[in-house]
Amino acid sequence: MIEVKDITKTFGKKQNVFTALDSVSVSIPDGASVAILGKSGSGKSTLMHALSGLDRLQQGQVIIDGQDILKLKEKDVDRFRARTIGFIFQSFFVTGSETTSSNVSLPLEIAGVRRGDRKRRIDEALKAVELTDKAGNRAKELSGGQKQRLAIARAIVNEPQIIFADEPTGNLDSTTSEVIENLLFDYNKTKGATLIIVTHDPELAAKCGMIINVKDGKIDSVQTR
Amino acid sequence: MYICINPNQLKYRFYMNISDIFIRAGRNLRESKARTILTALAIAVGATTITIAMAAGNGGREYTNNIVKSSGDAYSLSVFKQPSTPEATSTTLPEYGVDTESESGQNDMITNKDIESIRALNGVQSISPMLDVTSEYVSRGEWQKKYVAPLSVKADRTKIDLAAGSLTDNMVAKGQIIISEAYVGIFGFKSPEAAIGQALEVTVAQNSKDGSKSSQLKTFPFTIAAVDRKSDTNLYYNEAVRISSEDSQTIYDFQSGELAAPQYYGMNVLAKPGSDVVELQKTITDKGYQVYSLEDQREQLLQVIDIAQWALIGFGALAVIASVFGIINTQYISVLERTQQIGLMKAVGASRKDISRLFRYEAAWVGMLGGVIGVFIAFLVTLLNPTINEMLDLEAGTQLLKMDWLASLGLIIGLMIISVLSGYFPSRKAAKLDPIEALRTE
Repeated sequence: MIEVKDITKTFGKKQNVFTALDSVSVSIPDGASVAILGKSGSGKSTLMHALSGLDRLQQGQVIIDGQDILKLKEKDVDRFRARTIGFIFQSFFVTGSETTSSNVSLPLEIAGVRRGDRKRRIDEALKAVELTDKAGNRAKELSGGQKQRLAIARAIVNEPQIIFADEPTGNLDSTTSEVIENLLFDYNKTKGATLIIVTHDPELAAKCGMIINVKDGKIDSVQTR
Repeated sequence: MYICINPNQLKYRFYMNISDIFIRAGRNLRESKARTILTALAIAVGATTITIAMAAGNGGREYTNNIVKSSGDAYSLSVFKQPSTPEATSTTLPEYGVDTESESGQNDMITNKDIESIRALNGVQSISPMLDVTSEYVSRGEWQKKYVAPLSVKADRTKIDLAAGSLTDNMVAKGQIIISEAYVGIFGFKSPEAAIGQALEVTVAQNSKDGSKSSQLKTFPFTIAAVDRKSDTNLYYNEAVRISSEDSQTIYDFQSGELAAPQYYGMNVLAKPGSDVVELQKTITDKGYQVYSLEDQREQLLQVIDIAQWALIGFGALAVIASVFGIINTQYISVLERTQQIGLMKAVGASRKDISRLFRYEAAWVGMLGGVIGVFIAFLVTLLNPTINEMLDLEAGTQLLKMDWLASLGLIIGLMIISVLSGYFPSRKAAKLDPIEALRTE
């Protein structure tokens, strides 16, 4: 259960102040598939940053499993992200010079998983995204779709409770997009993890069980199916 | 309280494993090979200079010790009476024939009493007085040609370079004689080897009562035990025929004839092997004698080497300081280049500590690489020892540059530490990066 209570985020000072999030409150049940839908500049990315603890807001509460992550020390927020959250980005952010398996290994290393356990988990994650045969290849040799599949493997390798996907199909063609979407929704259903997709695409949002419409830093409406 | 839901989380630790960071740091460096190597080479310049300085100091010290060892016996002390300088504080000198102490020479001689007092000291093995023995001539026999050759006494175990023959403990036995290689041909030997075991006679004139030479001669027979020659490492070689202290005593006894109580211009004190020579030297000096030892000269030479070595190390240190700025610069560029990677790592939960460690370990790698390259180049330079020997006309096998591997290892570790310290600011910049800014899609 993710509960957001009255969060506000402003940029700039005095005359140039810009309110990216304005007293936003929303709650997301465990295991839901959620789309944060909005145009660029609507505050949807800022909301994602707030939910994931990347942005440390001054006002409001972000309660995950009963714990207000805004009250945690920086070190503990890092640990919380390492254990609980997986990220997928529009630009993949895979390290091209490293091998596929090394990319997937990163979150495990950061979370301090023992070396003996890593290989099995990397293999499982790569198998889930059908990249087993590319394990030894450098990430820069992969196609766009393969890179995003690699990013998914990296996001799920720690078996997180929550996956954030920021415009996951924004840089991909429609066929590849479908593959990526299927992978994300499959993981959401089979593992019961909460999937939060940030997108401006109403079609993708329509595939989610819950749609949070964001407009001008406020939640316009919440639809559930 | 944060609730652990994932059972695997029980296996989690708090921070990234140090070896994982180290491996990632190394991998990052391999990605920018040219930059890494260039930065490392800058460090290597200083490392090479310092290592060569250490090798030169090491080799120089050893070479000095060798020279000193072959120039004299470390356990041998030359002891003389403190020259009597009557009224040393006055500004006038005693006038000859007028002042009572004008016969000052008498006071400077060593007597048997002096010898006995020194012999009683701890650590003294033997004492041989320095006898002023001179030969009239040296020949192979009564009917052979007679040559005027300098007669000298081998009173200590100073190592000498032999062309032929052998010595026990670097000493001449009673009845034996050593001749210089230069004399071999003069005396009519075909080769140094041919001279060994041959007879040689030393003829001495006896002094009269008034100290002048009388015509009374005596011939002392010897067997040639060895032929010596000059070596590069011997500082004080002079060509002579050398006899033992015992024989010189016999010759002296004859030569001094009816002179009064024996007096010597000095004495050679041999300390017991393994005893504290420096301490003995101090004790004898305190008793009012002038003492000369090889240790004095060795220390002077070593001081010169130390000064040269530290000057060179100073230059190397300057080069290292210059390379520090190279490391800082490279690291800053690296942080800029990898902004997204750092952002991703932070998003995935890497702590500030993890990130700054990553960059500091990269710096450590560069420092280590520079150190290893530098030490290796210095090692290659030490391989030029034979060429250096040839150029300086030194004995073959001399190692003027001698690697000090332990110090080199220390240097590499030191450079790693310096690199880590110089990576402080760039790594702090990386650790402070805002992941949201770093991951903003362009």
